[in-house]
Amino acid sequence: MSILANKDTRVVIQGGQAGVNAARRMAEFCYLIKRPLNVEAFVYPPDAGKTNEIPYGSGLIAIPVYKSIAEATKNHPTINTSLVYIGADRAMKGGMEALDDSHIKVVSMITEGVPEKDAKILGAHARKLGKVFNGPSSIGIISAGACRLGVIGGAFDNLVLSKLYREGSFGVITKSGGLSNEIIWICSQFADGITTAIGIGGDAYPGTDYVSYLEMFENDPQTKAVVIVGEMGGDLEERAAEWYGAKKRRVKLIAVVSGFCQESLPKGMKFGHAGAKEGLKGEGSARSKSDALKMAGALVPATFGALGPAIKETYQELLKSGQVKEPVEPATLSRLPKTVEEAMKADEVMVAPLIRTTISDDRGDEPCYDGYPASELINKGYEIPHVMGLLWDKRLISKQEAEIIKRIMMLSADHGPCVSGAYATILAACAGIGLSQSVAAGMIMIGPRFGGAVTDAGRFFKYAVDHKMSVDEFLGYMKKNHGPVPGIGHRVKSLRNPDKRVKELVGYVKSLKIKTPCLDFALEVEKITSVKKDNLILNVDGTMAAVLVDIGFPVDSLNGFFILSRTIGLIGHWVDQKRQDSRLIRLFDYLVNYAAPKRREVPPLK
Amino acid sequence: MAKVLEGPGMGLMKKWGINVPNYVVVTSVDELTKLGQANEWLKKSKLVVKAHEALGSRFKLGLVKVDLDFKAAEAAAKDMIGRQVGSITVTQVIVSEMIPHKEEYYCAVKSTREGSEVLVANCGGIEVESNWERVKRLCLEIGQSPSSESLEKLSKDAGFAGALAKKMAEFAVKMFACFDSEDAQYLEVNPVVLRASDGELVALDAVTLLDGDAKFRHPDWNFAFAAEFGRAYSKQETDVMAVDSKIKGSVKFIEIPGGDTAMLPAGGGASVYYSDAVVARGGKLANYAEYSGDPPDWAVEVLTEKVCSLPGIKNIIVGGAIANFTDVKKTFGGIINGFRKAKSEGKLKGVKIWVRRGGPREKEGLDAMRALKDEGFDINVFDRNTPLTDIVDKALQAK
Repeated sequence: MSILANKDTRVVIQGGQAGVNAARRMAEFCYLIKRPLNVEAFVYPPDAGKTNEIPYGSGLIAIPVYKSIAEATKNHPTINTSLVYIGADRAMKGGMEALDDSHIKVVSMITEGVPEKDAKILGAHARKLGKVFNGPSSIGIISAGACRLGVIGGAFDNLVLSKLYREGSFGVITKSGGLSNEIIWICSQFADGITTAIGIGGDAYPGTDYVSYLEMFENDPQTKAVVIVGEMGGDLEERAAEWYGAKKRRVKLIAVVSGFCQESLPKGMKFGHAGAKEGLKGEGSARSKSDALKMAGALVPATFGALGPAIKETYQELLKSGQVKEPVEPATLSRLPKTVEEAMKADEVMVAPLIRTTISDDRGDEPCYDGYPASELINKGYEIPHVMGLLWDKRLISKQEAEIIKRIMMLSADHGPCVSGAYATILAACAGIGLSQSVAAGMIMIGPRFGGAVTDAGRFFKYAVDHKMSVDEFLGYMKKNHGPVPGIGHRVKSLRNPDKRVKELVGYVKSLKIKTPCLDFALEVEKITSVKKDNLILNVDGTMAAVLVDIGFPVDSLNGFFILSRTIGLIGHWVDQKRQDSRLIRLFDYLVNYAAPKRREVPPLK
Repeated sequence: MAKVLEGPGMGLMKKWGINVPNYVVVTSVDELTKLGQANEWLKKSKLVVKAHEALGSRFKLGLVKVDLDFKAAEAAAKDMIGRQVGSITVTQVIVSEMIPHKEEYYCAVKSTREGSEVLVANCGGIEVESNWERVKRLCLEIGQSPSSESLEKLSKDAGFAGALAKKMAEFAVKMFACFDSEDAQYLEVNPVVLRASDGELVALDAVTLLDGDAKFRHPDWNFAFAAEFGRAYSKQETDVMAVDSKIKGSVKFIEIPGGDTAMLPAGGGASVYYSDAVVARGGKLANYAEYSGDPPDWAVEVLTEKVCSLPGIKNIIVGGAIANFTDVKKTFGGIINGFRKAKSEGKLKGVKIWVRRGGPREKEGLDAMRALKDEGFDINVFDRNTPLTDIVDKALQAK
């Protein structure tokens, strides 16, 4: 048996995320005791009509969210208990709504910082209706083996350690939520565990006090003793003492009270919960409470540390008198399924990786590129081209190679608004499209006719060099198998109107006195092709390609140099259009050669 | 409960139609001089000047001066502003008009578990404190307001007669309206005086305790709450309060000068049991502190820094019960960062740290604390199997 919360308790939770978290904890307990989830519904107007997914074992249960208590109890008429997780400013309204619903008999308010006046009104209203209003600031209520309301009991492991899967003989009533688990744990270690533990909240005027619950425990035959964890302030402990001393009680009472430190604190200094305020002339002090409880016949250990032994002593007496029997522990207990991560950590499962990476690792406090921490690279003077070297070719390139790459990047960062890539980005920017999509529009243009010939140029020049071909052999091979040579030819530039970028790059690389077999070969090819037609010159793609192959970059990465570099320009064009607040553009019809058939009659549909 | 200083307290009473003397709160003599030019009453009336701070025994400290003309009031204000009393500097004075009167009475309204009580006595000032049996009370149920008749009867019971009984009842009606509408927990006027000039009842001194939790529905509470323990909050304390007001969960910190045992426990309930244990073992508390409700780690880190900065501490008690939902690993992470920072600033020399905790991710949290040993901290870590306050016993024995 238990009080207040039992196997028939069906719950509606009023509130948002905090309520969902509580439901998850409650589901863990239901799973532990092998009973269906006791949460039937949520009431949270902003999410009305949706469902909250609550993990239960390895599955998920969808719990509906309603706009009002009335709607929830109409759809779930078995609901008899409400947990209130609504903010302090709306808690009173929510609590009243629950109390006024005929299905609901118990309302437990978890909300903290509820105005005292509101709490008093809620408590009085509940008493008038013959219902229970528990809280505010209640951590929850838990009946071992039967029902958990709220997060009381803590994490799953703690539920097991505290033997909450089966009933004991001790009732617990505590103002402090933080100490509830401690007492439950003590009861399970020094005795046979709890029947029901109730957090009544640390406010000055909790809706239900010790006496009401003591009365319920007195009438619950399974509960043999009750542990009260009190605090200075107010007179709830004195009332409990009065109740206990009034006549012979069946339950034994064990109580501790905090606040003795008050006696040695500077005058007027108080702390602890909202309710822990000493009254005039010492009433409500820890000492007066503790004396009153002792006088009434309760067992009052001197310190919190002595509580365990006191509980043990009581339990031994109960065993001796035959009122309780040693508990029988269940042979097996439910175990909460682990998440994949937890199971892996415990070496219990092996998961086949979905992807494999060989270049970077983000799991530490900063990313590592091919094993080198980014900050260390910065601090040791490395630059962007080195990062490209690490991520694209898994090697730390030399200072000289980095300088070549930097120059390549600078030379191809932009080529004005008219080229396909920039034009596409500008067109998109003018249509109001965002940065990433507009830049992507420009990117899409990069291909065999615009900017995308670097890889192919590199591939073929390398092929020729690797196979020690002569220029004639190479041109023959290309004509026969592939067509025009990538990297050769320009739309506007020619022998008479050379591309300054190519001159610059070739001049620089040549000045380094390094071995450049591909570049040399490409320049030889140009000599032949440009004679045939004067715009068949080595273009910037071809030059880049030859140089990059010469300094060892893999052929497949070569287009990347153009893509990366040109991205700088494309972003510039998008920002530029944005800055000017450019309007939508469209083609003028005089720029179009309308070569479609003239207007004609549509034949009947057959 | 939140204490309100006299100035704003009187403001609330005035709002509900209770006669209060004319008063001004100033932070400088210049301001008072200017107000003197603008307000006739400051020049015409005899004045009272009081330090407007959360200080006890202001009379004894010479921080209340009565029966002054305006010049003398300026001199008194000059003398008081900037005075240092313990850790508090007087920054404000309240200057109010003296009300010539013969009779003094008493009226209060307080919140009780059953509802509220209206208290009336036909004596006031220190007389009422030594004649408490002359205070008559009317008990009201939750949600109930007193009727004029019941208050008139109360006045008569307290010894008021005729027109004065009616006046006192009217005064009490307004007191109750102020109490009820302003979410007050305690409202006391002592003395209530009969103003000689017009025979009206006037509230001369007010104690106002409001429910700080109800602030959300009182947009006109534009004043700060005062510390309730006879001194102003220190900078360290207000720093922690500022953090507390911003976060989910809570962090609390109060300094107790002269102590040697620093407290850094979790939970409003456990923290007091820990403090009790320190006192019971003959230790001297250096502070009160508490964090609860799964606060963010940075908030706990701020709290830790304040605790580590307490002067003359020998032990730090990082206690806590088995948490329900406070993440032990995360909150301990904040504490560990705070410890490291304090150590790098040369603090924590010769300070022993004692840890006991349980709850979600307790193992990870406790392991992280244990690892601090390798960084040279003098730290002792215990888990749920060590009873709650045993670390205090160990700490104070270790001396």
